[in-house]
Amino acid sequence: MTQTNKTKDVVLAALWGDNPVFRQILGICSALAVTNLVLNTMVMGAAVVFTTALSGLTVSLLRKWTPRVIRMMVEVLVIAFYVILFDQALKAYWPDMSRNLGPYVGLIITNCIIMGRAEAFANANPPVLSFVDGFFSGIGYALVLLCVAIVRELLGMGSLMGIPMPFFSSPSWDRWIIMVMPPGAFFTLAIIVWLARTVQVEKETKKGNKS
Amino acid sequence: MSLRERTWYPILFMFIITLGLSAVIILFGSVTRQRVKENERLSYERAVLQALPIDLPVRPTPSRIHDIYLTNVQEANEYSAGALRYIKDDSLVAYALPLAGPGFWAPIKGVIGIAADRRTVTGIGFYEQNETPGLGGEIIKAPFRAQFQGKKIALQGVPLKILPVTAELDESSVHAITGATQTSNRLGQFMNEQLAVWRERLSNQP
Repeated sequence: MTQTNKTKDVVLAALWGDNPVFRQILGICSALAVTNLVLNTMVMGAAVVFTTALSGLTVSLLRKWTPRVIRMMVEVLVIAFYVILFDQALKAYWPDMSRNLGPYVGLIITNCIIMGRAEAFANANPPVLSFVDGFFSGIGYALVLLCVAIVRELLGMGSLMGIPMPFFSSPSWDRWIIMVMPPGAFFTLAIIVWLARTVQVEKETKKGNKS
Repeated sequence: MSLRERTWYPILFMFIITLGLSAVIILFGSVTRQRVKENERLSYERAVLQALPIDLPVRPTPSRIHDIYLTNVQEANEYSAGALRYIKDDSLVAYALPLAGPGFWAPIKGVIGIAADRRTVTGIGFYEQNETPGLGGEIIKAPFRAQFQGKKIALQGVPLKILPVTAELDESSVHAITGATQTSNRLGQFMNEQLAVWRERLSNQP
């Protein structure tokens, strides 16, 4: 397989085929917690992309020297390093957002997507490919979160990115408070996973019939 | 025996990696520490100014806020019972009483402004809270805070009630936030306890 093909496969798998959230149901704790405002979700997504991409790169660079017995300790350390950097940067340069996201930025350390990519991919693949895999796994995660956030903010608050939307912010739309609260995330995420899986299963059945 | 096969190699490896990564974090932390401190001071000063009847520019820069704060606000003294004082042309215009108590998720800290008559509320501002964004978090937004302006602290009983949105309001009550009952109740509770104490302490003074 050529290098470009491999990169393309990695990207497609991360975004759709093996999408961390709706295919592997990983990392949904933060997906539920920060998805009631689109802006918060975007920053959270950026933090995850930053961490998965760079930790993938670093773990891959170190893989030849890392003793197997302590590889998971090293992975957690590398992941924590990038998350703390991001958290410190937010605190210093975007304090309001840092307050909004509260503990959830720090909790990215325990997000199974990142550990999963480091362990399953970066450990056994070259640095650049690991970076690409991490980057797009993060994007795949962020996109799903964004879908959830758009539904929740629109139905729950009648706005997107804090800007009131026509109809949804008018009195004729009775805001769904439950969408803003944690249960709203469960409902929305479940529906999105259901839709995505239905499409995927249909695709796979067609493929199966052909061969 | 190569280096990698020695028993102490994993320890050495972990030590070096930890040392390297920690060094970067400590360095970055010391570079940003000053900024983080300034951010905290800024949000405190902004909350105090929001509580007081002071017109702020539309998008004030951090240094502008600091300047306005320094020229107008003075520390508490024995006559203000713990409240900061807003002095203009040598006379007291308003008090800014710090409030703090438990919220739904984390402590809420804020400031309530009260005019020199010791009754009329001039505003309220918050500088620390971690309530649900979109629900309890709305306490920091203008629609909720604007309700407080012009309200009167009751001379007796609960100083300033936070009532459900269906309730009728009088001069000493404001509406809670729909869907954020816990935040509203807890805020109401500690705000009123602290306002009552302040009212009590001031009434013992000339």
